[in-house]
Amino acid sequence: MKAQKKEIPLQPYVSMELLTTLTQVLYREARLLDQERYDEWVNLLAEDLHYHMPGIETRYRRDKYDQVADLNRMAYYDDSKEDLKKRLARLETGTAWSEDPATRYVHLISNVEVELTEKDDEFLVLSNFYAYRNRNERDDDMLIGHRSDIWRRVGGGFELVKRQIILKQNILLSKNLNIYL
Amino acid sequence: MGMDGFEMKADYGQFMDLKEGWVDRRIFTRDDIYEQELYKIFARSWLFVAHESQLPKNGDFLTTHMGEDGVIVSRGHDGKVRVFLNSCPHRGNKVCFADAGNARRFVCNYHGWSFDGKGELQGVHEEYCYDPGDLDKSKNGLKQVAKIDSYKGLIFATFDNEAVSLGEWLGDFRWYLDCLLDNEDGGTEFMPGCIKSEINANWKFGVENFIGDALHAGWTHDSGTRAMNGGEPFPPVDMANSYHASVNGHGWEFGLEGVGDIFLLGRPKVMEYYNDIRPDMAKRLGEARSKVFGSVASASIFPNVSFLPGISTFRQWQPKGPWKFELKTWVIVNKNMPDEIKSEVTKGVMQTFGPGGAFEMDDGENWENCTTVNRGVVTRHEKLHYRCGINRRVNDHPTFPGILYQGQYNDANQRNFYERWADMMGAERMADMPERYKSVMSGRETRDITGVKAV
Repeated sequence: MKAQKKEIPLQPYVSMELLTTLTQVLYREARLLDQERYDEWVNLLAEDLHYHMPGIETRYRRDKYDQVADLNRMAYYDDSKEDLKKRLARLETGTAWSEDPATRYVHLISNVEVELTEKDDEFLVLSNFYAYRNRNERDDDMLIGHRSDIWRRVGGGFELVKRQIILKQNILLSKNLNIYL
Repeated sequence: MGMDGFEMKADYGQFMDLKEGWVDRRIFTRDDIYEQELYKIFARSWLFVAHESQLPKNGDFLTTHMGEDGVIVSRGHDGKVRVFLNSCPHRGNKVCFADAGNARRFVCNYHGWSFDGKGELQGVHEEYCYDPGDLDKSKNGLKQVAKIDSYKGLIFATFDNEAVSLGEWLGDFRWYLDCLLDNEDGGTEFMPGCIKSEINANWKFGVENFIGDALHAGWTHDSGTRAMNGGEPFPPVDMANSYHASVNGHGWEFGLEGVGDIFLLGRPKVMEYYNDIRPDMAKRLGEARSKVFGSVASASIFPNVSFLPGISTFRQWQPKGPWKFELKTWVIVNKNMPDEIKSEVTKGVMQTFGPGGAFEMDDGENWENCTTVNRGVVTRHEKLHYRCGINRRVNDHPTFPGILYQGQYNDANQRNFYERWADMMGAERMADMPERYKSVMSGRETRDITGVKAV
């Protein structure tokens, strides 16, 4: 049975302190990605991470099939932490030709909202991203979309347990996706 | 042909010398050549439009392109698949804006002309304004393609009334296609979804890469191979026991070790699965084909479909002008695989040959640069070298059909692809096409033919 789309009800606002802290977490993560500090980025990822960026076809409004919830579908990313580490291992080989010269990245993160979940130590964190890439002479593209995360409090910080990325492009308007969102 | 009086008699052979082994770069860049490709190649070839599994129910549809012509592939309420232009005969507007779905009818947003799943005109808005004789609904349906047929799950269509049968078009290449499409009971299906990306390169660079360019893999994809397999380099190639095979412009390059492509997927459970079914595969298709499948291999179906048997990416290079193509990718799996294996294959494909895949990321950049450098008019007139393995032709091989060359590091399939391209571009009528290879299994089923020797 295909999953059906449903709206999630709005939750009460959280404290300014929690909102500010988790916003700082997202900004710091964005800085690590901009600077390709992937070892440090991986340290932010929980062992039980699910990093998911579905491929979304254009369908009519009357079509209630939930393409995001159907995990059998092709996805740009449908990764565990181990899967992401395999992808990142490519950069360590010294032969990832299309990464040298390096791509120039900027991750802009906005519209941050935090909500409590049923688990005391886990928080739903919603955000929008504008990821800009420029490489070589004039390769230039932008990726814009929504993220829905679960961050878990561990020790003095937070780790990413779940991230769902919804890119707003139908056809990916660039040759590849050498970026994490 | 000569649909709009365009010059149809150009000698496209002048853009290459395949005996010498070179190709002129202008075939990748000139607007007039691209325009001719749309007429001579895309409007006359059998083109892949869908896998049957994408349209399981009556009313299911998807939209795609045949060349640059947008089409709807629809399973009508009579259960029959049809392909028609996604363009209203009234003013030409699109009648479908979704990638896929299920519909009772397709309605034009402009004047409300509505068409059923067969493409027939059912009704129009304010129909009373048409006087008797103004509008013959039976003659104003969506334009249907000339022919539709399928081969083991893959649906093809052509705009050409004079096209040979699909069986003849694929010819002896069917023997190889069975390695992918018929290696297990139940055949194949596509996993749900389709990932599309846009690459600023000529469509032929994608096709020729998959048709025969094993040579790039160990270099371009060194990083991807090591990433997916714990630091292991690209599997060694056995030049004595690997081949290029070409039929009618289609091509398959392959080793016979049986595991190389599956290894590159980086999913041990998938390797285990294929190892388990391989004895049955050998009974079904013969020993040779059970080794072709899963080896380091890649293939293209002329003009614009490619796949990797064993890695399971299936893709189409849709032309968007000489300088750009849209890449559509799917995941092809055996229908009888357990769900867990299908999911492993899907993840593996997207981690290797998705836009964020460890292999794919290094390809697009190469093809873009191979194309865009030719904006320079001096650069454009430099010939490209396609001579690798030019003297390694194998005649009358007892097992492998097609125009065969030894050693999978070779430019043979690429040369044969461009020969077919030039033949088609230059032929006023398809019947004028020179015969480059004589079929040895014409009109026969291929499953039980385990080697050509059996003929």
